Amino acid sequence: MAYLAQLGAPVRGFLEFLGDQAHLVLRTLHHAILLRMGQVAVVGGQTKLQIRFTGLDALWLVSGSALLLGAVTLIQAFSQLSGLGAENYIGVLMVLIILRELGPLLTAVLVIGRSSTAIAAELGAMQLNGEVDALAVHGINPYQYLLLPRWLGVLVSVFVLVVFFDTAALAGGFLVAKLKYDVTFGFFMDSVRQALSNRDFAATLLKVLLFSGAITFQACHFGLRIRRSQTEIPQAVTKTVVSALVAVFALDGLIAALFYF
Amino acid sequence: MIEVRDLALDAPDGRLLLDGLDLAVPRGGNLLVSGPSGSGKTRLLKVLAGTERPVRGQVRIGGRDIWPGGGVLALTGQVRLGFGFASGGLLSNLSLRENIALPLRFLGMPGVQLDRRTEQALAHLDLQAVAELRPHAVSASARKHANLARVLALDPELILLDDPVEGLDAADRAIAQDLIRTWGSDRTRTLVIAAEETLPFSYLEAERLELSPAPMTVEFP
Repeated sequence: MAYLAQLGAPVRGFLEFLGDQAHLVLRTLHHAILLRMGQVAVVGGQTKLQIRFTGLDALWLVSGSALLLGAVTLIQAFSQLSGLGAENYIGVLMVLIILRELGPLLTAVLVIGRSSTAIAAELGAMQLNGEVDALAVHGINPYQYLLLPRWLGVLVSVFVLVVFFDTAALAGGFLVAKLKYDVTFGFFMDSVRQALSNRDFAATLLKVLLFSGAITFQACHFGLRIRRSQTEIPQAVTKTVVSALVAVFALDGLIAALFYF
Repeated sequence: MIEVRDLALDAPDGRLLLDGLDLAVPRGGNLLVSGPSGSGKTRLLKVLAGTERPVRGQVRIGGRDIWPGGGVLALTGQVRLGFGFASGGLLSNLSLRENIALPLRFLGMPGVQLDRRTEQALAHLDLQAVAELRPHAVSASARKHANLARVLALDPELILLDDPVEGLDAADRAIAQDLIRTWGSDRTRTLVIAAEETLPFSYLEAERLELSPAPMTVEFP
C-alpha cells in the first residue's frame, strides 16, 4: 500500500495543480464579468503597465532574435533546397518552421524568461509584504486588480510579439535570400503566401490564447502561494519557468496534433 | 456587526492559539483585543477581515458569512472595511498618495471627491510632505500613518487596527490617538483594536478581550 501511495502522490499533486489552475482561471473570468464601469480605468491602467513591460520592452529582443533566426534558418535550408533544385519550396519551409512553430513557441519562451518570472516574483513579494491582503480588505478585488490585468497584458503582448517575431523572421530570411541567392521580394512573398492557410492563422491565434493563459496563471499560482519567507521567491520563480515551459510545449504539441495531424 | 461562534485559531507552527471564542460586537461598538506578542491578536484581526481561515468556527460580518464562506471577497462591495496594518500593507510600487487613493478609485469615486478625500487624509495624518514618496522611502511612523490615512479616506463602517500606535513618537502617537478617539466615539462605526498594551486606549469605551499565550484561555472581564 505504501508503494502504491508513493506512486499516487505525484499524480494527485499534478491533479491538484491542474485543479488550482482551473480555479484561478474560472475565478478570474467570473470576477472579470463583475467588473464595474468605474473600475475599468484602474484595471485598464494596470493592463497598460503589463503590456509595456511584457510587450513593448521585449520588442527589440524578440525582433532581433527572430531576424537572426529567420536568416540562419534560410541559410541552412536554402543550401539544401538549391542542391535539390527545390528553391520554390523556400516559402513552405519558412511557413512550416517559423510561422507555424517557432514564432509562437520561441515568443512564449522569451515571455516566460522575461515576464512570467517577474510576475511570480512580484506577486510573491506582494504576498509576503501583506499587499495582497491589504488590497482585498480595502475592497480591491485581487482577481480584478492583480490577475486580470496581467492575463490581458500578457495576452495582448504575446499576440503583438508573435506578429513582430514572424515579420522579423521573414525579413531575416528574405535578407539572406536576397543577398546570397538574389531572390526577389515578389518571389519570396509569393512563395510564403502560397504556403500559408487560414488554418495556420487559427492555430497561431489559439496558441497565443493558450500560451498567454498558461504563462500568466502558472506565474500567479506559484507567486501567490508564497507565504513564509523571501527564500520562497526564487523557488517559485524556478517552478514557474519549468512548469510554464512544460505547459507551453505540451500545448504546442496538442495544437499541432489537432490542426495538422 | 461582528458575530463569532466557537472560533479556533492556530499559529503557523500548528500550535492552537485560541479555542472556543464567542464574540458579538454590535454596529457602532468597540472592541479592544490585548495580549502578549504571539497570542494571536493579529491572526484574530485577519480572520475577522477574512484574509485568513480559522481552524474552526463561524464568523459573520455585517450579516455576511465570512467563515465558512468566501472570506474577504464576501465583504467586497457589501461592507466597507478599513484595516490599519501593524507593518507593511502598503503597495510598494505606489506613492503614499496613490496608496490612499487606490481604494477610492476602485470604488469608482469621482475625481474631485477622490482628490479632496485623499488630501484631507494626508493633511490629517501630517503626510503631505512625503505624499509623493513610496513606502520604502519613508519612516516606519509615516508608513503607519499612511495605513491610518487610507482607512480615514475610505470612511469605512468597520475598522480593524493592528497595534496602531506601537513605535510612534509622542507627536505621531497624539495624531493617531486623536483619530482613534474620533472613530471610537462615532456610533456609526465599529472599531476593533489589537494591541499589546491597553494603556494608550484607556480613554476608549470598549469591550475588552484579553488573549494569553497558548495553550489558550479566553477571559471576558
